[in-house]
Amino acid sequence: MIKRKQIAIYGKGGVGKSTTTSNLSAALSDIGYTVMQVGCDPKNDSTNSLRGGKPIPTVMDTLRSGSNDFEQIIHEGYNGIFCVEAGGPEPGVGCAGRGIIAAIELLDNNGIIDDYDPDIVIYDVLGDVVCGGFAIPIRQGLAEQIYTVTSSDYMAIYAVNNLFKGILKYSGSGGGLLGGIIGNSIKSLAEKEMIEDFSNKTDSEVIQYVPRSPTVTKCELEGKTTIEGDPDSDQAEVYRELARKVINNQKKFIPKPFDVDALNDWGSTWVSRILLHQKTSSQGIQDDGSGV
Amino acid sequence: MQPKPYDPDHKIDLDKNTCPNREQRANGTNVYYGKATQLIEDAKAGKTKCFDRELQQTSGCVLNFYLTVRVSTIRDAAIIYHGPLGCSSSSLGYREIFRSVPPELGRPQNFELNWITTNLQQSDVVYGASQKLKNAVLEAQKRYDPKAIFILTTCTSGVIGEDIEGAVNEIQPEVKAKIVPVHCEGVRSRLVQTGYDAFWHGVLKYLVKKPEKIQKDLVNVASMLSYTWQDRLEIKRLLGKVGLRVNFIPEFASVNQLEELSEAAVTAPLCPTYTDYLSRGLKQEFDVPYFLYPSPVGIKNTEAWLRQIGKYTGKEEEIEALIKEENKIWAPKLKSIRERLLNYRGDGKRLEVLGSLGQGRLLSQIPYFDELGLSSSAGLPQDFDNLILEDIENMVEDIGDFDILVSTFQAAEQGHITRNRDPDITLTCPFQGGAYKREKSVTRLHALRGDPDPWSTQSGYAGAIAFGEFILQSLENKAFENTMKEKTADSYKDSWYEQPNPLKYVDRESSK
Ligand SMILES: Nc1ncnc2c1ncn2[C@@H]1O[C@H](COP(=O)(O)OP(=O)(O)O)[C@@H](O)[C@H]1O
Ligand code: SF4
Ligand SMILES: [Mg+2]
Repeated sequence: MIKRKQIAIYGKGGVGKSTTTSNLSAALSDIGYTVMQVGCDPKNDSTNSLRGGKPIPTVMDTLRSGSNDFEQIIHEGYNGIFCVEAGGPEPGVGCAGRGIIAAIELLDNNGIIDDYDPDIVIYDVLGDVVCGGFAIPIRQGLAEQIYTVTSSDYMAIYAVNNLFKGILKYSGSGGGLLGGIIGNSIKSLAEKEMIEDFSNKTDSEVIQYVPRSPTVTKCELEGKTTIEGDPDSDQAEVYRELARKVINNQKKFIPKPFDVDALNDWGSTWVSRILLHQKTSSQGIQDDGSGV
Repeated sequence: MQPKPYDPDHKIDLDKNTCPNREQRANGTNVYYGKATQLIEDAKAGKTKCFDRELQQTSGCVLNFYLTVRVSTIRDAAIIYHGPLGCSSSSLGYREIFRSVPPELGRPQNFELNWITTNLQQSDVVYGASQKLKNAVLEAQKRYDPKAIFILTTCTSGVIGEDIEGAVNEIQPEVKAKIVPVHCEGVRSRLVQTGYDAFWHGVLKYLVKKPEKIQKDLVNVASMLSYTWQDRLEIKRLLGKVGLRVNFIPEFASVNQLEELSEAAVTAPLCPTYTDYLSRGLKQEFDVPYFLYPSPVGIKNTEAWLRQIGKYTGKEEEIEALIKEENKIWAPKLKSIRERLLNYRGDGKRLEVLGSLGQGRLLSQIPYFDELGLSSSAGLPQDFDNLILEDIENMVEDIGDFDILVSTFQAAEQGHITRNRDPDITLTCPFQGGAYKREKSVTRLHALRGDPDPWSTQSGYAGAIAFGEFILQSLENKAFENTMKEKTADSYKDSWYEQPNPLKYVDRESSK
């Protein structure tokens, strides 16, 4: 038996965390690991593509109903992956952070994870780390490694920088450390370079770049991960490569986040470069250097 | 995969920050009305659940229902409430009650309340308050120089997800006292027993030391607040006679007493529902044996309790001699009380007693009532969970079936039940005793450590007699009941008593 690996994947809303996480889970499961994926986002859609696009009842739903039947919170998905959604309130009411706390405490304190005994637990967490609740998977090494998904969108990188602040804050008291950055929806070299530069300047590392691909969308519409829906595609191979890297990755970085002003300055340089690049490619305008 | 069924031998996991909730650990419930046999069946089938009430009166939260009071009695420790001021208030009142108890009647002389609150405000909720907590730890160290500092969490710290363990790890190297975080946020669980487990979890994880030597003559006894000062003296007397020493924890214990829990020969119960987590933990981590049943209430169970202790301490013979000696003195007294109670009605029927009991007392009191010659066709526990399932099964086998009315201190429900069952004697818990009036006897079940008088003893031989006398007295003198009826109005309208359902306000839809 291998020692259980617990990781958390953070990132800005909509950046592709759940897509990446589900594909990662599916790829790991194909390799032969037992995987549990825990969605920690009140959107409750983390595991949808592992379950034919259908949502599952959440931990908070179960708690609220007064039931102690843990069978209601663990649902098997693609290839026997254990799917869990923490759940939480409708937008605009209640406290989503507390929902994450209550759900994770229920799983952890009752030894539910031990009962199902997965080799790998992946927490898919809404990643602006807006409050203490969303920081739970970072704290006290619940997850030993933290990964973050980002695109080259400035606000996505801004959220990563915030996450780094959170990791740094908890690093002194036994919190989980950074395993690496996953660059997602990559469409151009410039975007890659931007993320690469961010990682260099913050003492971190990019573990994998995932291109933007219509295959992902196609499979998602079928309620499937790319691994399940189009296993022979290049995109599936990218996710499998990510899975192999994650499993073997022992690195733990204490990142050095930018302070806000410095991030702003850094961001504006890169944003103009990327805009220029987009212009050149979409309108056929050349950037400086070799003229027409 | 199936969820795992309730396992009476379940392990506790001290790597975690805290215990599971009682709801999940033992399927606890806050409402039930039915036969004990039915409850046992439902509990086994996992059908017992918590429900909301549309009318909820007297009660407390995981933190402030006794836990605050208990922890604040630990003598050379300081206590920090990480929350708004109000969460900590209930321990203050008890300080006054305890200080009025003379040391010769049992209170340790050097009892001080070392109390600090972080008094969380709006901005602490918004920005987090771990710095404030760390400052409070430093302040507690400076002010009191305690051996341990207990941090009690609250709803506020829980909702904002304060990283208590993180703060503790950071600040521990700077203070001499051992820091013990206790996760007892009020919103955490509906069953106050979760707070007890959370407390023991912290004690086991942070305070109890590896045994340096085995103290073969040391007996751990976790003493409930509702047992009395005199009970401590009686238990000490009995075990002292056979050369055993009692380690009473946690109330009025020293930190050292908690540290050496691992060195004892056995952990004996006063209340199984209160002690089980500690007992299991000590067995699992340090191989200290334990038993959970019976408690030393009534002569029969006192003797069974003593025999268990004799077994684990290798004092079987001494205990038999003690039992012989004591039984000779006390059994005739009990017999005479029993005869008076049996003949009280004069129609050959037994007096009916209805007791408001914790689930631990449900196990200890009902056999004792039987011993006294009383009939108790029902008991009113605060709550019920699977931890006592086996014991209650044995008890039903022993004394027959009875009604269990789990009501979590709901005075209106208890008043309704009492009015309709109309027992000869009602024993109330101090929390809701004033809520209903009656002509027949009503008296207290206990006085929450408020009354140090010898007549309030309940445990051991002396307690079996004292409490019997107490019940007799409540039948003889009706002045209290009459005055109450005359001078004070009923708390509830007639319409409440006239409608048939004491659980009318339980919202059955709230749990599915
Ligand atoms: N590499 C990719 N290529 C194409 N579409 C993607 C890719 N990654 C994510 N998406 C799409 O982006 C949308 C948001 O992704 P999702 O994983 O739900 O984000 P998050 O979980 O971060 O909120 C989805 O519709 C998903 O299909
Ligand atoms: S912990 Fe919560 S329920 Fe308990 S007193 Fe404080 S605020 Fe009230
Ligand atoms: Mg998502």
